[in-house]
Formats: sequence, C-alpha cells, structure tokens
Amino acid sequence: MNKTFSRSCAAVVLSACCQIALASTASAPGMSVEASGVAQAAVTSGDNQRMPFAVVDKKNARLHVFAADGALQASSPILLGLARGDRSVPGIGERPMSQIKPHERTTPAGRFVSEPGRNLGGEDIVWVDYGAAVSMHRVRATNPAEKRLRRLASPTASDNRISFGCINVPATFYDAYVKPALGQNHGVVYVLPETTPLRQHFAFVPTPAAH
Amino acid sequence: MIKRTAPLLAALLLGTAGMAFAQGNPPTTASPNPATAAGQQTQQGTPMGTTGTPTGQSGGTMAAPSTGMGTTTTTTTTPMPAPAQPAMRPARADRN
Repeated sequence: MNKTFSRSCAAVVLSACCQIALASTASAPGMSVEASGVAQAAVTSGDNQRMPFAVVDKKNARLHVFAADGALQASSPILLGLARGDRSVPGIGERPMSQIKPHERTTPAGRFVSEPGRNLGGEDIVWVDYGAAVSMHRVRATNPAEKRLRRLASPTASDNRISFGCINVPATFYDAYVKPALGQNHGVVYVLPETTPLRQHFAFVPTPAAH
Repeated sequence: MIKRTAPLLAALLLGTAGMAFAQGNPPTTASPNPATAAGQQTQQGTPMGTTGTPTGQSGGTMAAPSTGMGTTTTTTTTPMPAPAQPAMRPARADRN
C-alpha cells in the first residue's frame, strides 16, 4: 500500500517536473517555433536519451542549450557555415580548408551525438560531426577580414554565415553553457534544416496533423 | 573440587591452543624456483638486482610473485573504471 502510494507520488512529482521543464522550453523568448518543437519532442519522445542537448537554429543563427530534462539553460547568436544547405559534401572532413569551395561550406542538419574533443591546435571543442570535421567552438577572430565578432554582435542573422561549417559560439557563452553541458560528456545536438523538411531529419517530431 | 579441576582446565586450554598452533602452516624456506636458492630472491620472487614490482605476464622468464608464506592468500582488486567520460578521439582539424 505504502509502496504503491510512494510510486504514485513519485510519478506525479516527475510528471510535474517534466511539465515545468517543457513549459520553460516552450515559453523561451527568442526561440523559433521549430526549435521549441524539436526540443519538446526530443524530451517527450526520449530521443535525447537523458543527455543534455542543444538545438542549432540555422535560419535564425541561434543556439539553444538544454539540460537533460529539457530545461532551457541559455540561448545565443552563433556563426554558421557560409553556404546554405543541409548536407556535407562527402569526404569534406579529410580536405584542407584551402580546398573547400564556398558552396561546400555548409553546416549539416540532423541529429548528432556530440562529444568533447580537441582540434589540431589543442583547443577544447565539442565535436558535432567528427567525420565531417564539424565542431562547436569559441568564435575565432583570427582572420580580421571575416569580421566574425562584428557579425556575432549584429542583430541580424543574415550576416552570421561565414565559417567553413563549424558552429562559432561567443567565448563567454561557450565557457558558461556549452562546455558544462556538452564539453564533459556525450550530448545531442539537433541542427535544424534550412533547405529540407524538418521531419526528414527528426522523425520523432510529431506531424502537424497530430497536434 | 575447584582445586582439582583447575589444573585439568588449564591443561585442556593449553592443549587446545597447541592444537590451534599446530593447524597453521609453518613458514617454508624452500625456494619456489629450485634453480635459485631462497636467499637469492626478493620478496616478490624477482631476481636480485631487479627493482620495481613485477608486471605480471610481461615479466618474461621471471618467477611468478609469491603470495607470501603459508596458506595466506591475497586478493587483487581491479581498479574501478573512471566515471563515464567518453574516450576522446584523436585531435584533428575542424572546419573553423
């Protein structure tokens, strides 16, 4: 009797916590409907496998970082691949950047199990797609002509396309949110598509008719 | 009455203790490796002059480490795996 009562109470509390967490994702200001929908569906379907996760909204050039329970941690503007497109060119991860053409500089869309790692410069980064050499890292302002810091600071998303495919994050945001959530262990990164249908990449997202 | 039984009890206790002592295996001075005398090996069974602790199978022709004398055995504990931190893949260039 007591056991049953305890289990019921635990279920109610857990459910309430999930509702609160999901409500916080849904009501986050500055988050697109698509990003919010993917975040909610990732938790309710269990697709994030109880791991912290991030949603990369390419259309709006924004990153949203979530705890494993779906609670939004923070959001930030980001820089993305110069070219629009949702696929990586085969073998692009093996090519030096000097051999990557402008139209090949895409940030691939899809679900990626992220992992902490390092690049050849020894910098700690988060691998989004290790095979395609796509990572999430602190913004690099090494080439002044690219004006990466200015692009990040601007209010528009249209000028946030400059990288070779990597996701550039403000350094303070990376250290405060990305590294604690994804830089210590595996996580999930959902990169929303910009030229292909959402459900083509995320089957766990309910169809509009199901709402 | 007590005076009579006291020596008997003492003798019985002494006998029991003696039995208990007799049950233990006496230390042996025999070498586990007949080719070397007992005085020419370290406590860990390694040849004299070798420093450090033997590393198991990689010891080549070294004698297996002794677990000590008598019937006492030691249990080896395997180190606990580190908490689930993924093995980091080799560093590589990213797409900036």
